[in-house]
Amino acid sequence: MEIIRNLFVLLIFPGGLFLLAAGMFYEWVDRKLLSQYQNRIGPRWFQPLADAVKLLANEEVIPEGSNPTLFIVLPVVALAGGITAALYVPMAGFPPAFSFAGDLIVTIYLLSLLTLCMGLAGANTMNRFSLVGATRTLTQLFSYEAPFLLALLGPALAAGSWQISEISAYTTQRWLLFTQPLGFIVALIGLMGKLELPPFDAPEAETEIVAGALTEYSGRGLALFRLGKGVEMVVGLTLIAVFYLGGVSNPLYFLLKTLALLLVVAGLQALLARLRIDQTVGLWWRYGVLLVLVQWLFMIGGRMVL
Amino acid sequence: MKIGAMFTDVVSSLFKKPVTEKYPHERYEVPKRFRGRLDWNAENCTGCGICAMDCPANAIEMIVIDKKEKRFVLQYHIDRCTFCAQCVHSCNHGCLVMRADDWELAALNRKFYTKWFGELSDVEYVLAESA
Amino acid sequence: MGAKMQTNKTDGKFTVPIGPQHPALKEPAFFSINVDGEIVTNAYVRLGYAHRGIEKAAEDRNWVQTLYLLERICGICSHIHSTAYCLGVEKLAGMEVPPRAQAIRVLVAELERIHSHLLWLGVASHEAGFDTLFMYSWRDRETIMDILEGLTGNRVNYSANLLGGVKYDIDSAQADSIRQGLEFLQERLNYYLGIVTSDALFLKRTRGIGRMTRNQAEVLGAVGPTARASNVARDIRIEAPYSAYEHFHVSIILETNGDLEARFVVRIKEMLESCRLINEILDSLPEGELVMRMKRRINPGETVVRVEAPRGELFYFIKSNGTDKPERIKVRTPTICNMSSVVKLAIGSQLADVPVILAGIDPCFSCNDRSVHIDHRSSKTCRWTWEELRKYGIRYYNGDHS
Repeated sequence: MEIIRNLFVLLIFPGGLFLLAAGMFYEWVDRKLLSQYQNRIGPRWFQPLADAVKLLANEEVIPEGSNPTLFIVLPVVALAGGITAALYVPMAGFPPAFSFAGDLIVTIYLLSLLTLCMGLAGANTMNRFSLVGATRTLTQLFSYEAPFLLALLGPALAAGSWQISEISAYTTQRWLLFTQPLGFIVALIGLMGKLELPPFDAPEAETEIVAGALTEYSGRGLALFRLGKGVEMVVGLTLIAVFYLGGVSNPLYFLLKTLALLLVVAGLQALLARLRIDQTVGLWWRYGVLLVLVQWLFMIGGRMVL
Repeated sequence: MKIGAMFTDVVSSLFKKPVTEKYPHERYEVPKRFRGRLDWNAENCTGCGICAMDCPANAIEMIVIDKKEKRFVLQYHIDRCTFCAQCVHSCNHGCLVMRADDWELAALNRKFYTKWFGELSDVEYVLAESA
Repeated sequence: MGAKMQTNKTDGKFTVPIGPQHPALKEPAFFSINVDGEIVTNAYVRLGYAHRGIEKAAEDRNWVQTLYLLERICGICSHIHSTAYCLGVEKLAGMEVPPRAQAIRVLVAELERIHSHLLWLGVASHEAGFDTLFMYSWRDRETIMDILEGLTGNRVNYSANLLGGVKYDIDSAQADSIRQGLEFLQERLNYYLGIVTSDALFLKRTRGIGRMTRNQAEVLGAVGPTARASNVARDIRIEAPYSAYEHFHVSIILETNGDLEARFVVRIKEMLESCRLINEILDSLPEGELVMRMKRRINPGETVVRVEAPRGELFYFIKSNGTDKPERIKVRTPTICNMSSVVKLAIGSQLADVPVILAGIDPCFSCNDRSVHIDHRSSKTCRWTWEELRKYGIRYYNGDHS
């Protein structure tokens, strides 16, 4: 019985097929919102699905000078990391499939695994653009990770636990958006950095380094990386909705809250220009860390006073 | 120096209709001067052939069967035409005009792109001669 | 041509090739950038991928056909190429174009300048990563294209010129629609000027980047808005007015900073100046005919024409030998003058800034037809003269493929 339940959780819901479909749906909503902000018609609803199907049908070209095993394995590991991270998060309003003390750190680590895999994939080839892209990906990972982690640990501190299901039970009663606003801002913008959305898309800047770390990928590898990014977006949005917007206790709240966050994220994408990689690092290590430390000071001060 | 200077524009776009035109389901009117396909009116033609000489793409061929009886055949290659309208202005008698209503000229075979202008008997005569 | 990418890892620096196919370039060109981390240490440019043999093809066509051939050297500055050619041929033939035709030529040229600068605004902000400005400026560009379509019948490659005048007239209904469109555009342009000078993240990508001092601009021979952004007061419409610019005056737009932000500001202000000029022309359009009859054989002689294209000074040399076909036409486009400044400015800047610096000079690679001969045996590169090219062609087609 356990095995059937685990397989169901892994392959159908909340992992596997549901997550891939949700990832594609959120990618479509993001592109459609972005196009609406830019006053044009965006893609139709099946565009991410059509992209995935077409890419899976393409021939996968393994370039010379790269390690073939690593080339093929990295996208799979990235997607697997994303799907595994989703197992600990309350997906679609249902309680998390698996839960243990300290699973917040594991989830964040698994999300970073995806970015690491992309950086490694870029460093694997001899393509000049991939190398520059990989360097930028890893530099950006190094810059936003600390503030993002601290911003997510703020609610954990308030709830007094590092287990996502307990934090979720705590935040369902109160909206931490109002008591920890700075943390919310850093977490949301940190999510944009993690997903490499504009203004933090220097690692995959189309006009400078073609496609960054993923330049040499085609066919199945590229499809898996893109699905992984979609999954990462869903998991990240769910985490922020759980922590700051009062938990996701049923599917309707999940949809509404994550789509509201996506509206803000897409708006920020449309509004801001791309930052250079050194400006990104400067921004995060100056303002990002500052904001989150101020937030923590207030929080700890508040606890000591009350 | 403000962050997000385009804020009002971007946010108000959420409530505006997209400007993309959904061609071919919606088409907008082309202006009167639009340069579409060529049309030849044989009434005033004298067979001087300046239109064929001046065409930069050699898209017009003037075939003179009989100059005194004014039997001319004009062969027009739509695929070579650049729609520059030089022939329209070179002609001293106003025989040529570019139609604003026929500009969707995609076709599936090349036969569509050679257009013969003239009396039917003359065109058949020319085609029989060249065969 | 070095299609294989070698890892040139000498001293830890390696070469990033931008081109011939790259999302940053709208047309093919090859830039070989040596980087050390993210800092550029050396840059090298090779052009000629869009060479089509137009100057040679012009010798086989008569004067009227050549007009349309030269118009297609570039898609976005097509009208100014045909204007320069018409001015040269009319000078050789000794004809005086009626004033109404001259005014309409200048009007279409200024409309084309607005069109070109709006397109450039979108492309340059896309290179900097600001896609929203790209979409909005291209949406507003549709207004200008609709105006031009109503006036001439086509959205690009207007073909409004004839040898001896223009093809199309402007009546009062059209003048009203032009004025309406320009009013909308002026409002949008003022808005874009505000954004380009105040948006914090956009300024981080443009202020202080690619700074060219006035001395450097003069030494490198920059022309057009690129030079005017570095305080070099060079504008052919003012120094050597041609056609209707003798009656309708343009004021020069200068900026002193010389960086990318200054280039944005100069081009937007030039667009506003063009709007003002078009309104002035529409208000006082001289009466007259549209075209003079032109002979088919042009008198022998040589002439030189300089006009102000949207990108800078455009130079034509036309030689006639009395027949109905031109003997030699030589075109020197403004982008080739600005290209050396890109290579000079890229060194020392970051890799992420190179596409924006390139976009800042408004490159039009289709205009740059130069051909470079690469001799595999002697590994020298030199520029061929006409005679050498002819001799090589004769040798080649006689079977000597060396």
